[in-house]
Amino acid sequence: MRSPFAYKPRRGPLQDASPGAAVAYLGAIVVVAFLYLNPLVLLAAGTAASLAGILAGARGAVRAALRMGLSLALLVAFVNALVTSRGETVIARLGDWPLFGRVDVTLEAIVAGVSYGLLAAATIVACAVYSACVDPDRVLRALRPFAGRSALTATLVSRLVPVAAADAARLRDASALRGPAAAPVGKAPLARRLLAGSLDRAVDVAATLELRGYSLGAPRARNRRSRSRYDRRFYAAAAAVLLTAIAGKLLGADDFQAYPTVAIGFGPATLAVATVVTLSGLAPLRRPMKRRALHAEVARV
Amino acid sequence: MSELAIRRGAAPALEVRGLDYSYPRAPRQALVDVSLEIAPGEFVLLAGRSASGKSTLLKAACGLVPHFHGGEIEGEVRVAELDALAAGPGELAVAVGYLAQDPETQVVSTTVAAEIELPLEMRGDAPADRARAVEEVALALAIPHLLDRAVDTLSGGELQRVALAAALVTRPRLILLDEPTSQLDPVAGDELIWLLRRLNEEWGVAVLLAEHRLERCLAAADRVVAMEEGAVGFDGAPAEFLAWSHENDAALSTPAARLFSLAGLTPLPVGVRDARQTLRGTGIGHPPHIASRRVPDPRSSEPVLRAKNLWVELDRGEELRDVLRGIDLAVRPGERVALMGRNGAGKSTLLRTAAGLHEAVTGRLDVGSIALLTQNPGDYLVRERVGDELPGDEGLAALRVVGLEHAVDADPRDLSGGERQRLALAIALAGRMEGELLPAVVGLDEPTRGMDRARKDDLVALIRGLAGDVAFVDKEATKATRAAAVVVATHDVEFASAFAERVVLLGEGVVIADGPMEEILSGGWYFATEVARVLDLPGVVTPEQGAAALRGELG
Repeated sequence: MRSPFAYKPRRGPLQDASPGAAVAYLGAIVVVAFLYLNPLVLLAAGTAASLAGILAGARGAVRAALRMGLSLALLVAFVNALVTSRGETVIARLGDWPLFGRVDVTLEAIVAGVSYGLLAAATIVACAVYSACVDPDRVLRALRPFAGRSALTATLVSRLVPVAAADAARLRDASALRGPAAAPVGKAPLARRLLAGSLDRAVDVAATLELRGYSLGAPRARNRRSRSRYDRRFYAAAAAVLLTAIAGKLLGADDFQAYPTVAIGFGPATLAVATVVTLSGLAPLRRPMKRRALHAEVARV
Repeated sequence: MSELAIRRGAAPALEVRGLDYSYPRAPRQALVDVSLEIAPGEFVLLAGRSASGKSTLLKAACGLVPHFHGGEIEGEVRVAELDALAAGPGELAVAVGYLAQDPETQVVSTTVAAEIELPLEMRGDAPADRARAVEEVALALAIPHLLDRAVDTLSGGELQRVALAAALVTRPRLILLDEPTSQLDPVAGDELIWLLRRLNEEWGVAVLLAEHRLERCLAAADRVVAMEEGAVGFDGAPAEFLAWSHENDAALSTPAARLFSLAGLTPLPVGVRDARQTLRGTGIGHPPHIASRRVPDPRSSEPVLRAKNLWVELDRGEELRDVLRGIDLAVRPGERVALMGRNGAGKSTLLRTAAGLHEAVTGRLDVGSIALLTQNPGDYLVRERVGDELPGDEGLAALRVVGLEHAVDADPRDLSGGERQRLALAIALAGRMEGELLPAVVGLDEPTRGMDRARKDDLVALIRGLAGDVAFVDKEATKATRAAAVVVATHDVEFASAFAERVVLLGEGVVIADGPMEEILSGGWYFATEVARVLDLPGVVTPEQGAAALRGELG
């Protein structure tokens, strides 16, 4: 079965855009997530990445990434609540635990954990949209003249997503087919086996790249699809998001503190940053047919 | 040297002199004093048992050894006058193409067209030249209809052709192939070999082809090089190779050669046509008709696997497809069944559905306890000690069934390929046996990929033992085990003839033939053994049967 994160050729602004424009756009959303700890802005970044993926037709990738990201967010919040006793609002006193010592669950630790979890979730969704919508072949060609090794890594990663997904499916099947008296396959041995298998595959894929002449210092071949009419749109969206985020940061839009008591800023600057970031998710929207038809008609007349 | 000069030059396509090579941290040398020369436009078959150095020699010829794998190397390797030890694989790519065994790791792009175009783009060719070259190689390999497809929607056979196209698109002087037919059905395998021969004749590409199933490609080869423990054991014409293998390593012999040898005929034939000509020349071109030997009908026992109007639908990347379409099948205890058919015919799906990995959309499938070994035994091995994979008495009982009870403390990675396969089977069996009784059905999915004949013979013995063939089970085990029905999905016709008593032939998800092995494997062209194709006698499929027929002992 095909991985939901595997690139699938579709027609759409995000897919048609050059790799540089797509990376700038999705990268800007990730940068915002790393710049801010305010849950509202992080939520906006996650929403923008999800919206972009849905509008680009990668619903499956968004759904899978949200499942993965939100599970991780919950896990981070849970662990943070257990290991951090800072914060004044104690929700539950769980007594002394082995290894953890005295465990007091505080509202502040939960909120801080949620904030870190949202950061991870927004990043995962943006990466999933990149993986599903940006043609790795074009990335490979675009990067090679500037950074051969980076392009090699990018290609390995792009090929390894579907290959590792296929390996994981096979390992899952094999573990389901083990006899009831065979030792059960724990997650750790399975993950270790998958990682070892993926590294073996990576070596094979890298060997194939070598054989295709990848390491040659050949002149860069002219690319048939190096630019797109959508590039400006994505570069503009990326610039708007980054400038707003930086300006917002300077104006104190990242008004958030978890400890000793939770204080989340919902001021105009924060709301403005969140709004711009959320709206940036609309960048992959196609122009409505009617309007396009009208333009064509006008042009014809 | 310019590319044009390389192409026109009469220098050997490959020249190896005194090559010694060891992989990093390897206990022994992979190549020992190897010397050989391949002339431009020559088709050379590289034979040898598993781990005899075939793949390493191919990797040395394309520069992956030592540039990619490291290790210690001495000697000289020249490809079209390029020094392969000095030049890297990228520089050699202009003169040599390489196709490895696993097509999945040989594609680096997302679409077929991009994959084939990549080597040209890396070389800096102009777009118009690239477009033409891609079109031409796609036409030569009969894959123009695949150009717009995503690579992860292709079948194994299609992927193999795409990888071959990417290796050929630069018009190399030498193409190296490492068991390219191991994942292909007999039809696709034969097509690939004859396609290589055509490219060899029409484009003048020198071919160095490593294969285990020699009967498939010996007739296409100009010359055979046989590897023995890293060294060249034989280098000569195909007919001479058969005489050499008969004397030195019978595991490298072909079924037709074994047939002639058993029947006392000479010279040993390199292919079906050769064998037929010799038979005509000796006046025994038309042996007596022999009635098909039918296996006894085991209807006295209840089926342990019964499918009735079984339909299974799977997501094949781009759309849902009915992979099994109304299968009716009954398998009884002790039966040894070969499931055969083209790639994508539904063999694996049938086994996987029986094991509960897929669900039927309609119809019925009743199966007793089943242990299934999938195509990659390594997927079952996740721990570093055999005993940790199979703890307790039940684990030991499973190890005993496959003859590995002595290896409880071994690391699975230290076991041979055949032993790892047995261990994986034991893992699938563990706990599915009632005491020492085997499960009702044992399924094996393509178990012979990359195996030499010696290992296949071991597997045949194991299968016959599992199915309760007393000649293959030691007396202790015979007392302890009950006969399982063994169902094996395989492309390997010769292997099927060695273990199966019944063959079920699938085509596009439908059973198109079901009957005794001798009947099915002697009644066609592609799904027929080499002996059956030589003699064309109903019911005669193995060298032993063929020799008996030639001696007039049957019938």
